[in-house]
Amino acid sequence: MQSRPRALLRSLTVLCLAVGLSGCITARMQDNRESVTGIAEGESVVIMARSYHLGNETEAEYISCVENALARGSKGLRVIPHREFVDSLFPWFEPRTAPAETKGLPKLMERPGVAKRLADQQVRYIIWLEGDTERVAGGGSLSCAAGPGGGGCFGFAWWQNDADYNASVWDLKGLESAGTVSADVSGTSFLPALVVPIPLIARTQAAACKGLADQLRMFISDDPSA
Amino acid sequence: MRATIRTTLSVVAVSALLSACGGGSMTLQSPSFPTPLVEKLPVKVGLRLSPEMEQFSHEEKVFGRETWSVDFGDANARLFRQLFDHMFTDVTILTADDNPDLLPIDALVETSIDAFEFSVPEQTSSNSFAVWIRYRLKVYDKRGDMVANWPVSAYGKSETKALGGSDALERAALLAMRDAAALMIMKLDAETGIGSLGAMAAPATAETPQDSEEDVKVSVSSDNTSSFAAGGIDQDAI
Repeated sequence: MQSRPRALLRSLTVLCLAVGLSGCITARMQDNRESVTGIAEGESVVIMARSYHLGNETEAEYISCVENALARGSKGLRVIPHREFVDSLFPWFEPRTAPAETKGLPKLMERPGVAKRLADQQVRYIIWLEGDTERVAGGGSLSCAAGPGGGGCFGFAWWQNDADYNASVWDLKGLESAGTVSADVSGTSFLPALVVPIPLIARTQAAACKGLADQLRMFISDDPSA
Repeated sequence: MRATIRTTLSVVAVSALLSACGGGSMTLQSPSFPTPLVEKLPVKVGLRLSPEMEQFSHEEKVFGRETWSVDFGDANARLFRQLFDHMFTDVTILTADDNPDLLPIDALVETSIDAFEFSVPEQTSSNSFAVWIRYRLKVYDKRGDMVANWPVSAYGKSETKALGGSDALERAALLAMRDAAALMIMKLDAETGIGSLGAMAAPATAETPQDSEEDVKVSVSSDNTSSFAAGGIDQDAI
């Protein structure tokens, strides 16, 4: 026969699993098209972070996440890893030297070897990411104690993360801007504790990654089903 | 037996806590730099590296308690040798004892490290390590006259989230060195006029030593430590 607290704990666990063990997320994806897009077989895209010289704080793990998400699936795009791309064009995509606007592209193409290297890699689009995920609010209190007979926590804590990312898509075919795609995701996580803390985590950055990648794939392929 | 395990676990836990609070160390182990996409300048250059370029290390107490040590080894010398090999048609490495007058070179470049700084996440309330390096390049013509004195200020930054503490510091240092390489590829000729010192080129126009500080403002305090006030994007490259 089970003791009463253990049964209560099991019920709580089941309840939490039932609600999906996650916090609340609201997401808004938008795009702004400036030219006709499309991508041929063999053509590739590169995901880059805007320069930290400009104060951008886009996380390396977010860039990798978008790279992986864009490449995944039957309609995945061919993505060149950004470090491999930057090394292959050294030093023209270093934080100091990378073009900040499309009007810098013609000059970049005139640099020795650059146009050929881009053509060899069949790079069609460069996607510049900027933005980050920040904790914007939080509250509650949680305390834990432990003794010879055991331990436990009691209380309730919450916090809210905002993930704001913007992707500028440059089309190297016309050396022009194809448009922008943005992800604005807000997630609130909860941590109630009744003996055992039960984390209900909102995976805000992951939602922003998947949302932006899906939107980018549609934007570039110009195919709503992509 | 159980007491022994408990004691061992306690020692491990305390050691882990202490090491987490006690700074760290970073060693750059034979870093490699990508081959730059650049056309070589037709100049025969002699390159003399100062001793600290061949072996540079730095130790610092952050907030007066966390000790961080960085060891570049010969990474700086490696960077300059590799970079100059790609930038000039002919490069001769000079030791301190070599007399440049006896060598068939058009220009002599002496390089040194002027200043080095880094910041850890606790100092900036961020997740990033940052590294600043300022190299100094002195360029001499065939006659041995100094034609340029150029400080090259470079900056690199890397997050701790994706990498561990010392790995992030290593990445930041590597990015700073790449930043210096990028700056030299873009501006070395314009800042120093070294391209005009080649045997086939017109006579050099830069006759007085220059000390261009436009890329960075550096203040030197009374204790002879330097601080960097600005890095930046090079609009010429954009």
